[in-house]
Amino acid sequence: MSISSSNPVISAESLSVVLNNKKILTDLNFNVKSGEVFALLGGNGAGKSTTLKTFLGMITPTSGSAKILNLPVDQHATELRQKIAYLPESVMLYAHLTARENIKYFLSLAGINKRDDEINHALEKVSLQPKAWDERLSQYSKGMRQKTAIALSILRQAPIFFLDEPTSGLDPIAIDEFNQLVSQLASSGATIMMVTHDVYGACQVANHISLLRDGQLVGNFSSPEQGHINTEEVHAAFAARSLA
Amino acid sequence: MTHFLQELKRELLFSLRQKNVKILLVFGFLISVFSVVTGLMEINKQQATIERLVEYDQADREHVLKKYDEYGNLAYYTRHLTYSPPSELAFSAIGQRDVLPWKHRVRMLALEGQIYETDSDNPELAYVGRIDFAFLISILAPLFVILLLHDVRASERAGGRYDLLLTTSKHPERLWLTRILVGVLSLSVALLTPFIIGSIISGANGLDVLLVLAISVAQLIFWAAICYWVGKIDASAPQLASMLLGLWLATTIVVPVIGAKAIEASIHSPSGGDIVMTQREAVNGAWDKPFEDTFTPFLETHPEWRDYTKMNASFEWKWYYAFQQVGDLTAQPLSEEYRHARLLQNERASLIAWLSPAMLVQRSMTQIAQTDTLSMMAYEQSIRDFHARLRHFYYPFLFKASAFDKKQIEQRPSYSPDKIKNSKETL
Repeated sequence: MSISSSNPVISAESLSVVLNNKKILTDLNFNVKSGEVFALLGGNGAGKSTTLKTFLGMITPTSGSAKILNLPVDQHATELRQKIAYLPESVMLYAHLTARENIKYFLSLAGINKRDDEINHALEKVSLQPKAWDERLSQYSKGMRQKTAIALSILRQAPIFFLDEPTSGLDPIAIDEFNQLVSQLASSGATIMMVTHDVYGACQVANHISLLRDGQLVGNFSSPEQGHINTEEVHAAFAARSLA
Repeated sequence: MTHFLQELKRELLFSLRQKNVKILLVFGFLISVFSVVTGLMEINKQQATIERLVEYDQADREHVLKKYDEYGNLAYYTRHLTYSPPSELAFSAIGQRDVLPWKHRVRMLALEGQIYETDSDNPELAYVGRIDFAFLISILAPLFVILLLHDVRASERAGGRYDLLLTTSKHPERLWLTRILVGVLSLSVALLTPFIIGSIISGANGLDVLLVLAISVAQLIFWAAICYWVGKIDASAPQLASMLLGLWLATTIVVPVIGAKAIEASIHSPSGGDIVMTQREAVNGAWDKPFEDTFTPFLETHPEWRDYTKMNASFEWKWYYAFQQVGDLTAQPLSEEYRHARLLQNERASLIAWLSPAMLVQRSMTQIAQTDTLSMMAYEQSIRDFHARLRHFYYPFLFKASAFDKKQIEQRPSYSPDKIKNSKETL
């Protein structure tokens, strides 16, 4: 299963999800190609996390399909998860383990073996202070935990990244660092889908942004050949949709 | 296989990094040590008592033999020690040895009363119970499993790691299974190591030890499997723990209690006290009855002494021992009913045990340790068999009024616990 640049890596085809007789997602359609950053922007309860969980195979579509590498996720969940690095909104790694131990443990779960220097390199890359590497996560701030989880995602060397509100709770410097990291990952060929309500951050890193409201896509924005998506334009649409 | 072992090692190291797991395992180990040590102490005490009694019994018999030179007196004053020695595994499951007598010093008088006189002891004491290894495995071990494994998934959900684990793990389902397996393995080591050491110290039979280990591990796996299935429910850890504890309570306490009540209500049984009273009344009443009233029923079972029942004095030992035996014959229907009821109760309890893993484990362990009801009944039966041999030895001297010959006494039967097994087959 190789990732070709022409075919979409992630695609939603008339994707609808009904949970407890409530429509959560309605007729979503989008494609994300290799090396692209796709941001799904929406307010609380818009259906962002449900979309992500559907693509992770944790929720089965009611109709339509969620596909990764042209395979329906609900039928190939375990296989496809091996190609996905998932960063949950609230990263709660094991508090009784150090950053390094957490990374080693989770990598081992994924069947990946990394040398100490590779782990150190990833931790450096996410700007986690070396003196913190061998401290237990119980002493970490949310930002530090987030960085640890990002380092884990990098080390997994997965071709696809799912990021759930990745900058929530991070300080502005950490957000900048994170955005740079996302850009680096994308330029190295990774396909990234992130759900967020951070308009500025999304515009900084995404090639495509879709606005999600009440489970429906209500706006699409794409970056020009050079530069970023216009923040003000997205912000205005986001605010207008939110107020509507 | 290597990969599986690596996963096992990873989860074992991971689990041992958790303080609560370490505390639970150490606690389990200490209770196991306590159960094994107190079990060994109890069995050592019983063995020491037997050794002391054997010595005392021998001295006492020699003393009586020096004092009396008549068969009747000798039979009357001589006590014979009977006992059921604890098996090498009895330390692990004290079982019925806590409730029923395992030693009697019997005389050649009416026997049923001698067997059941301790039956009137306060039975409430039996409810106090004992934390032996069988109790640990049957009752407490499920609680350890529940405490350790009820939240294998729920703790990850509550900790916000569940989705990450699910998406990161190459084999998500295997992760939970490996964690459950590690829990069972570490608990097995903590709970079973003291038992293995105890078995080596007591010199238990290897096959029996393996059987007990297999039963113990099966009990742990059974509860771990329940934790695994219940843990799949998307509920909080306290909710899952409540469900599992409810199940434990139902199978460990409610089913056995209701079962015992149902058995009690469905099977009528005389008490040991009834047997003692019936036999004593028959014996005491014989003093005031004509000799024929004793010899007639006696001869029905011992026709060989028909020509020797003529009485030449108002008291003769043959009459005395004949009415002792008639006392037993009078109590025999009650005694048989009592034993039949116990066998039936035991049989029904074995059926109910299939609804209660705790009961099933405990019954299996007491059976292996030979401390179950059947073993204790076999001991009782061995006393009857011995007593019959004793009567068989004395009756010719008493009925034929033979002159006393000390050499003949050397032929007197002595009790051997080795014959308990034979008696078990006759139950």
